[in-house]
Amino acid sequence: MDCNRCDAEAVMHAAYSGAHLCDDHFRESVEKRVRRRVRRDDLVPKDATPDDPETWVIGLSGGKDSVVLTTVLHDTFAEDPRIELVGLTIHEGIEGYRDESVDACVELAADLEIRHELVSYEEEFGIRMDDVVEDDPENMAACAYCGVFRRDLLEKYADELGADLLLTGHNLDDEAQTALMNFLEGDVSQIAKHFDASLGPLSEREDQEEFVPRAKPLRDVPEKEVALYAHLEDLPAHITECPHASEAYRGEIQQLLYDLEENHPGTRHSILSGYEEVAGIVADEFNDDAEESADLRECVECGSTTTRERCRKCSLLESLA
Amino acid sequence: MRVTVDVKGEDTHEIDLESVPTDGDAEPTYQDLLCEIELSPHEVSVLVDGRPVPEDQPVDSAELTVLRLIKGGSPSAGG
Repeated sequence: MDCNRCDAEAVMHAAYSGAHLCDDHFRESVEKRVRRRVRRDDLVPKDATPDDPETWVIGLSGGKDSVVLTTVLHDTFAEDPRIELVGLTIHEGIEGYRDESVDACVELAADLEIRHELVSYEEEFGIRMDDVVEDDPENMAACAYCGVFRRDLLEKYADELGADLLLTGHNLDDEAQTALMNFLEGDVSQIAKHFDASLGPLSEREDQEEFVPRAKPLRDVPEKEVALYAHLEDLPAHITECPHASEAYRGEIQQLLYDLEENHPGTRHSILSGYEEVAGIVADEFNDDAEESADLRECVECGSTTTRERCRKCSLLESLA
Repeated sequence: MRVTVDVKGEDTHEIDLESVPTDGDAEPTYQDLLCEIELSPHEVSVLVDGRPVPEDQPVDSAELTVLRLIKGGSPSAGG
């Protein structure tokens, strides 16, 4: 089967668009989608200059998604003095797993010649995820603890590194799953928050001075295509499953989406595009209603911005103590 | 034709191509083979001689490698 755009042999078929693409045209198509998302989300401010460049911190886990995101952004902005990329890697304390993916991050950052920072739960909080899953004082899935600690460190270090933007490698499958989960849970306020936190174009988001804005420029690319891009580019992505991965509900939604996509190609794209539109509308609605807006304050323990007296991270650390 | 499907890190399957139900197509495709081993084309890549192939194409190799997608744990890990 030939590529739709040249005579070379196709390496992939995208059922949602009907396209068959060769190695070169497939990679070009991924890069185009990421760049288009960067433009649509207004990620490069008009006032960015070489004298006053923007710092973009990328959550670099060493998995395929963050490695592909870092590579495409580097290729896009390497010659643009308005944007400086920094890779931020978090070691959760998972024996034999994160050690290898940290190596992948170090290798990538060295290849691309970008600044790389490594922080760990052990140094920051005195805990390791291997021990947390053993103790499990809150009777929760490993990812529920890990997500709270990771978000805390991403925000803290993005702030310390002077980030103008915090970027993560969420792909289309991740975001369509989250959209569907929020919808099925009936969590409208979460949908509004999702828009202001990471989905909306920067120019349309409610000002959140307390937090570094987030962005997900890989979210138009299906997970399978991210993996294929990493494979074809021979990127140093780490390819072992986290031994503690255990998000049962997300797994159910993922399977549901695979089945839907099989019978109705394009379902993930349409879920996310409709969700983004609705999220923008409900974000406006929630932001107009001052009663609904959360009162932010400083955590009594660590001083981070939270809606509670003690932030979720400090509560979890207390129960783990 | 008998096809060997090696799902990396998991099982190897021997599948008789003639026994694979097709989706109205004349010949079984890579996607039909994946269906036989209960995998979605959205969670794997199919390689022939180390090269990715479009899953909607007819199977024309007796040996396939299937790579599953790997997550970096929670999506908030950013993959």
